[in-house]
Amino acid sequence: METIKPKIAIVSLTSCEGCQFALLDLGERFMNAMNEVEMVDFRLLEDEEDSGEMLDIGFVEGNPMTVANEKTLLNLRKRSKLLVAVGNCAAMGGIPEIKNYREKKQTIKHVYRYIQGIENKEVKEVDNFVKVDFTLPGCPITAEEFLIYFPMLLDSAATGKALPEIADKPVCVECKKKGNRCLLLDKKPCFGPMILGGCDAVCPSSKMMCQGCRGLRKTGNARAMRAALKNMMNDEEFENTTEIYGLRDDIESRERDS
Amino acid sequence: MDIKINHIAKIEGHTGFMASVIKGDVKSAKFEVQEGIRLIEGILIGRHYKDMPVIAQRICGICPVVHNLTSIKAIENAMKIEVSEETVRLRKVMEHAQFIHSHALHLFFLSLADFLDIENDLQLAKEYPEETKSAIKIREYGMEIIKIIGGRVVHPLTNEVGGFKKVPTPDEVKNLILKGEEILPVALKLAAFFRTIKTPDFSRPTEYVCLEKNGEYAIYDGDVISNKGLHVKVDDFENKFHEFQRPKEVIKRVEKDGKTSYMVGAIARVNNNHGKLSSNAQKYLESLKFNMPDYNPFHNVLYQMVEVIHCVEESVKLLRELTHADLNNAITKKYVIKEGAAAAAVEAPRGTLYYWVDVDAKGYIKNVNIITPTAQFLTHLEDDIAAFIPGIINADEKTKEKKMRAFIRAYDPCISCAVH
Repeated sequence: METIKPKIAIVSLTSCEGCQFALLDLGERFMNAMNEVEMVDFRLLEDEEDSGEMLDIGFVEGNPMTVANEKTLLNLRKRSKLLVAVGNCAAMGGIPEIKNYREKKQTIKHVYRYIQGIENKEVKEVDNFVKVDFTLPGCPITAEEFLIYFPMLLDSAATGKALPEIADKPVCVECKKKGNRCLLLDKKPCFGPMILGGCDAVCPSSKMMCQGCRGLRKTGNARAMRAALKNMMNDEEFENTTEIYGLRDDIESRERDS
Repeated sequence: MDIKINHIAKIEGHTGFMASVIKGDVKSAKFEVQEGIRLIEGILIGRHYKDMPVIAQRICGICPVVHNLTSIKAIENAMKIEVSEETVRLRKVMEHAQFIHSHALHLFFLSLADFLDIENDLQLAKEYPEETKSAIKIREYGMEIIKIIGGRVVHPLTNEVGGFKKVPTPDEVKNLILKGEEILPVALKLAAFFRTIKTPDFSRPTEYVCLEKNGEYAIYDGDVISNKGLHVKVDDFENKFHEFQRPKEVIKRVEKDGKTSYMVGAIARVNNNHGKLSSNAQKYLESLKFNMPDYNPFHNVLYQMVEVIHCVEESVKLLRELTHADLNNAITKKYVIKEGAAAAAVEAPRGTLYYWVDVDAKGYIKNVNIITPTAQFLTHLEDDIAAFIPGIINADEKTKEKKMRAFIRAYDPCISCAVH
């Protein structure tokens, strides 16, 4: 008798689709992981129409930026035992959210001459529309992290066991482990201390400051971070940088609460 | 009769297609884009120039390298910043690597199943395990280069205006050379397999546009040329090519000499510049026995294969040259932030990618324009399909739809890039 494999779908809303490519770039390791499940929908690899059946896990990448995107998202939630937000756009709004911080709906005037009939919604993260059970953070996601949490998520979906959680450690932990010289020591700004680790400190390892694409960690202290960076970037520069990955609204509410 | 495809899978981004045919005449053939607008140009305005390569590369998860490099080049041109030879070489290696992994993904995982009549890639991998392994290996070579030089494959990190934040070690460069040498025979073998696939007959003469440069197969820079005698500097691109929006459309179109139909990408480059391909790429091209100029868009997939061979050979050559250089010369030197406006272009896997940027004296962006390959060939693709439909009009619904999907996919459109 054939064993019944868990069913999953990987769905994308408006995005660069880089998180899907990060998965695909795992090559054989991704193919092997997918052999353990039934892929109901992954439009990068298959042409068949999605049958619309119930799912153990629905993965969603990108922002719901059109009415059609919203429908896709609501439908995915309805049919999935677990819904996983994949990447910075789904989790935090991503680069399109810069629009919210600046000229908002007026931003469109720089780009289009005829704006009538073009959907120009405020950018809102996935969890404003549906309940999110787990988040794979990052821009793009860390594919290795997917391989770690995927079996745990399948297990939770099958047994109802508690969901996994990404450990509340700053980017600095992995950065130190890699032997990188701390950018802050050279008076170069870096958000590492307040940001959730798990990315293998990929940015500071390339001498690029952490700009916070994985989001504030639970005990991350935004106020202390701002103070520590005071001599390296002014408030405006700090805010501008936090806008890139949709971090600014999270920092503002964290600072209000602390 | 309407032919409607709700959703085209296995391309980058979201779109449907709609054609209306009355008594055998194709009245319209049009994409119905389902992508939200991210307004990348709009959100860049008012931001510091250093954010631009970081944000702009996120237009596309498959070709971030080209968006990153084109924004960097445009800013450097605007501020009149000169970079070292080593910087240019490292960037060129990344560009070639970008072609390798993007093309290998498209020609094998996105397009091939169409020519073998297979429904999905997990099935394709089962029926063609050796070829699948080869395609993955070739992709991995391209990705490894970007990871080593750029720090990460999707959205690289080390490139910046003026040079690199960090450069690879001589040992890392040597390792990449070894990998490149190993991958060439793998690519040639996969190419031999691709020679056996059957592509439909279809041909519609057109204008092929791409970059061209003396002494090399232009990918990183050059002038804009065509097979119809066009030759302009990148700075004059927008004098010749006009971007415009049709009401209610989120992808802008591009018009040249009053016409909106011209073609860019691998098929355009190989047609225009095949004399400058590497030796094995030329040999493979000859073995395909296509008559130049070749106007069959299905052959785009095979021209991508030609370019994969070229880029493998060329990347090894560039890396070898770098073993004699001091890579530290590629580390960013101090430069002066200046007011200015300028254009830049590179060949992206899907065709010529154009950026224009205007920066103020403090380095904040006043204005920016981005014209992507897919925006340029969208009308051409619609026109091609309109010409293709009469030939398949008598097939049943499902076959018709399948053939149209295959046609669209052979073009390798990137809707995420086109809307941005």
